[in-house]
Amino acid sequence: MEASSDAVVVSHVLRGDVEAFGTLVERYRDRYARYAFHMLGNREDAEEALQDAFTRAYRSLPQCEDPERFGAWLFRILVNRCRTVGARRGRRARTFVADETALLGAAEDHPAERTAWREEIDRALQQLRPDQREAFLLKYVEELGYDEMSQLTGVGVSALKMRVMRACERLRELLSEVHSV
Amino acid sequence: MSDDDVRMSQIARALRAPVRLSASFDARVMAAVRRLPGHERLKLWARLTTPRTVTVMPLTWGLLAASVALFAVLGAMHFAVDVDRAAKPIASALFPAQTKPAPQRVQFVLVAPDAKKVAVVGDFNGWDAQHAGYQAQHRGGGVWSVTAPVPVGHHRYSFVVDDSVWVADPTAPRVVDNDYGVPNSAIVVPQE
Repeated sequence: MEASSDAVVVSHVLRGDVEAFGTLVERYRDRYARYAFHMLGNREDAEEALQDAFTRAYRSLPQCEDPERFGAWLFRILVNRCRTVGARRGRRARTFVADETALLGAAEDHPAERTAWREEIDRALQQLRPDQREAFLLKYVEELGYDEMSQLTGVGVSALKMRVMRACERLRELLSEVHSV
Repeated sequence: MSDDDVRMSQIARALRAPVRLSASFDARVMAAVRRLPGHERLKLWARLTTPRTVTVMPLTWGLLAASVALFAVLGAMHFAVDVDRAAKPIASALFPAQTKPAPQRVQFVLVAPDAKKVAVVGDFNGWDAQHAGYQAQHRGGGVWSVTAPVPVGHHRYSFVVDDSVWVADPTAPRVVDNDYGVPNSAIVVPQE
C-alpha cells in the first residue's frame, strides 16, 4: 500500500478499507505540517488544523474528483482550515517561544545560531497580515506558481502578487531590525 | 539574482525545514477517522440526502404517471375481484347456508256439521289445539276450514273437534302408526 498511487489508496478507502487512509496520512502529514505551523505559529494549532483537514478529507473523499491529485486536494482543505483556525484564534495574545522553534528539525551546521535565526524568521512571519503570510508561504516555501495559488485560494493573480510583494517588504523591515539579512 | 531575491531565498530555505509533529499525531487522526461512518454507509447516505437536479419531460413523465395510475386502478380492481372470488367458497365452506325454505300456506278442510269448534294440530304447531293460527272457521253448511303456514317436508297432523275429539283428515292419507293412540293424517308440503 505504501508504494501505491494516491488513486489506488483512495479507491481502497472508498471500498471500506479505513486503515488504508493511514497511508495518506503518513504520506502528507510532514509536508503539510510545515505550512500549518508557519501559518498558525504554534504546534498545537497546526496539529489541530492538520488533523481537521485529514478528517474532513476522509469524510469528503467521494467528492475528490481527481484521486490521483489527492495531495493537492488535501492541501486546499488545509489552507482553508488554517484560515479558519487563524480567524478563530483572532487577536489572542501570543508569545512565540523558542521551544516552538526547537520543533524545527533542519540539519544545522551550527544549531545555536540556526535556532536563533529561525526564531527571528518565524517571529517576523507571525507579524505579517494573515493574507500576506499565506501568499508568501505559498509562493516561496511551497513554491507554487501564481496560477496555482489563484486556484488554491480563489484570489486573483494580481492581488496575490501584491500580497507577496508586501510580505517581502515587511519581512525585510522586521528582520533588518535584528540582523543583517 | 538581486540581493532581495537572495534574501528571500535564504528565508524560504530556512522555512522549508521539516516540522516535527507529536508522536501520537497519526494515531489521533486515525482514531478520529475510525469514529466516522464507513464509506459504504456514507455513499448510501449521500445518495439519499444529496440534492439532485431532475429533468422532467412533460410528455414522457405524463405518460409514465398515467400508466402507473392505470395499473394501480386495474390492480386494485383485480385484487378486489380475486378477493371476492376467493372469499365465497371459503365462506360457504365455513358458514354453510342455514336458510330454510319458507313455509307454504296449506288449506285444511273438515266437514263437521255438529261441531262448535275445530282446530288443526300437528308436528308443525306442537300439537297445540289452542294455537291461534290453526283455528278453523265455519264456512257454512258444516264446512270448517283454515289456511295456515306449514313448513316444507313431511308432517303428521289431525283435527281436534270441540277440544276433545281427534278426527283424521278424510281427504289425506292416514298414518299407520300413531304415537298417541289417536288418528293422524300425513301431508307432504313441497317447496315452491
